[in-house]
Amino acid sequence: MMIRVALAGNPNVGKSVIFNNLTGSHQRVGNWPGKTVEKKEGVFRYDNEEIYVVDLPGTYSLTAHSIEELIARGYIVEERPDVVVVVVDASNIERNLYLVLQVLELGAKTVVALNKMDLAEVSSLYLDARKLERLLGVPVIPTVAPKKVGMDELCRKILEVARTKRQVVKVRYGNEFEEAIGKIERQLEGDKALEAYSTRWLAIKLLEGDEAVIKKVQRAASGGKVLREVEEIRKALKRKHGDLEMALINERYRVIKYIVERAVKGEKVLTASDYLDQALLDRYLGMPIFISILWIIFQFTFIVSMPFSDILSDIFAISSERLAGITGIARVDYLLFGEYGVLNGVGMVLSFVPLIMTLYFTMSLLEDFGYIARAAFLMDKVMRKLGLTGRSIIPMILGFGCNIAGVYSTRIIPVEEDRIVAIVTNPLMLCSARLVTFVVIAAAFWGSAAGSVVLSLYILGIALAVLVALVLKRSVFKGRVSPFIMELPPYQIPSLKVATTQMWVRASLFFKKAGTVILLGLLVVGLLATTDVSTLSFTQDIERSLVATIGHALQPIFAPLNWDWRLVVATVFGFIAKEIVIGASAMLYGVSEEEFSNFLALHYDPVTMYAYMVFVLVYVPCVATIAAVKHETLSWRWAVFTIIYEIVLAYALSLVILLIGRTFFPGV
Amino acid sequence: MRRRVLYCGALLGLLYVIYGVLQVYNGVVSWWFGSDKLMQLGVKVFETHVPNTFPDPFSGLTLITIGLLFLAALYHSMRGFTRYKGYLFAAWLLAVTVLVLNVVEICASFLDAYYPLLYGGTPNFEWSLAVDAWGIAPHLLLGVLALPLYFDLKDFIRELIPGL
Repeated sequence: MMIRVALAGNPNVGKSVIFNNLTGSHQRVGNWPGKTVEKKEGVFRYDNEEIYVVDLPGTYSLTAHSIEELIARGYIVEERPDVVVVVVDASNIERNLYLVLQVLELGAKTVVALNKMDLAEVSSLYLDARKLERLLGVPVIPTVAPKKVGMDELCRKILEVARTKRQVVKVRYGNEFEEAIGKIERQLEGDKALEAYSTRWLAIKLLEGDEAVIKKVQRAASGGKVLREVEEIRKALKRKHGDLEMALINERYRVIKYIVERAVKGEKVLTASDYLDQALLDRYLGMPIFISILWIIFQFTFIVSMPFSDILSDIFAISSERLAGITGIARVDYLLFGEYGVLNGVGMVLSFVPLIMTLYFTMSLLEDFGYIARAAFLMDKVMRKLGLTGRSIIPMILGFGCNIAGVYSTRIIPVEEDRIVAIVTNPLMLCSARLVTFVVIAAAFWGSAAGSVVLSLYILGIALAVLVALVLKRSVFKGRVSPFIMELPPYQIPSLKVATTQMWVRASLFFKKAGTVILLGLLVVGLLATTDVSTLSFTQDIERSLVATIGHALQPIFAPLNWDWRLVVATVFGFIAKEIVIGASAMLYGVSEEEFSNFLALHYDPVTMYAYMVFVLVYVPCVATIAAVKHETLSWRWAVFTIIYEIVLAYALSLVILLIGRTFFPGV
Repeated sequence: MRRRVLYCGALLGLLYVIYGVLQVYNGVVSWWFGSDKLMQLGVKVFETHVPNTFPDPFSGLTLITIGLLFLAALYHSMRGFTRYKGYLFAAWLLAVTVLVLNVVEICASFLDAYYPLLYGGTPNFEWSLAVDAWGIAPHLLLGVLALPLYFDLKDFIRELIPGL
């Protein structure tokens, strides 16, 4: 009979290399049933036995929070392979042993492949495989997969373990937990529906409150009685230990610490990356460092891009002058090249191409250096304390570039409720489209400190996203949070080539957008601005135009925010694309980029303009982002919800800022 | 690592914290209370101060953070923890980064003022180190003072940038 083996392990531990070493060319690649996760299986012969191997998806645990974890756990529990080979990275033994303990909890017959032994030695770590074997109670085989070291021994052990009836596993948790596990195990024993499963695993999962296992037990004959008993035990333990899932995670790590202290000799030599992480991820200084790095990036972005934006702005102003009258048709000329013309608006938007390019260049450098992963790690700590998933950090960071990318990237969040929360809060991230508007305003009012003002808006966006997420998690989506485990890559010198490529890609996307959506939006504004409201004929008097009528009609709604009708219209048109806000403003006020800053400084005060920036930051996302929200939530309901809550929040927040500003800082 | 390095780091740490606090204070009184009575700690040269602690709370927070990293290095070293190396390295990296930022700002402002001369125009504005808020800021002066620490941190730096 064929022996069935499952290969389990954390991502990047060399599992696939071992799989290839074992199966050679006899392998098949497909998908797990009903999933888009790759399934690799193969067959080989050893000692006259035919052995089937399946490569399970790489996971850090078997807690069933992600699709990969569900597949791996489901296969071991339901398919019950003869042997589970857990591939462990010897140079990172502590983290890897967590999965080993979870596989042992499942009651699966296990062999541990202690891979990357060469790397462990380089790091001055000396692992005693025999001692590890005694402590775990399962065979441990040292391997170096790329050099095929230990493969023969591994095959021999697989056969040996497959032929044994059962293993005596020696891992035990604290007395209180063992007592509770024992009590639940006794309740579960004898139930035919649950016979196929390890009672110890069921008991641990019931203690953790694992929903899939609770459902499984509910269906059994003794289910109701068992679950009532479990609830009593959980209540008693909770009083002392709090969250039991977390308490059991701590128990596993306590056991891991015990094992490592006995089986590992030497201290891992710390690299420059490790030392740097101790400072950059410091409990108290980590967050100020994160804010400081953001400030440096934005300051650098504004500083470097400023002269180039000014040069581009001059080029557009000169072009407008030179092109005036070129068509010979007064209306078209005025619409395209006049002071309220489309070229003025498009030029205003395009003069910020250097800003967008520099921003993406610096962000790419930071990502390549390895800091973005650290930023996610720092934010995850905060998010988890608030009961939110740390996985939403990645979409948030992507949202800084473009909210659409941010919304689509929420697919990495495995729990549907958490994903919806991340989707509807992503438009609060300050995207590069809004940045264009903010840079002009901040430069006009705060000069050399513009970077700091814009940074405050980035921080406000994150804070509001967390706040809205908290409200949703405490009201609509009550439930537990999916954990987030991430690898922190070593720091490295960033690649200028990668950063430059990224910069050009983004610039070309920006040009494309400027030539399509933004141009069309501004053309509509231009047409409305040059059409007489009573005769529908051409007019150069903007106060008699259609756009002025629309603006005047809407202006009373925004009067408490101190806006004039032109600002109202520009903001409303920003619904199409946020860059239009600044382009339309330039058109409606009839001023170029350079004049625009002076114009704003003369007509508005810093408090009104800060409140305005907050409104633009928060109010309704652009059309494309709304479409993305609808697409990803599969419902108009959430798209409409996003529009409504953002408009209400934007208005209320702006009003509050104005009131506070006027009351407490009358000098500004 | 030699004690001299840590003491130099600690002195730099104190200076960074002091100038950071001044920037936060100046930012608060200038931005939120509209006052032009700024606190300066430096030598007055022509119409500006050297260093010029221009009002900017976030810039101040950055200086304070760098200062605290230097001081944390001293703290961990005194307690015998090797982690002080990481704090000193991080502080130095940030100090050099804001020094570069200051230099880039000076170049960018200069370019912004005088680029119209390239096509025969008149300067956008008259620029000099004295009128530029970032002209000779604490970021520049303290960063220059921190540069010699390179010789004590070069092993780390070479690990990140092989071949340097």
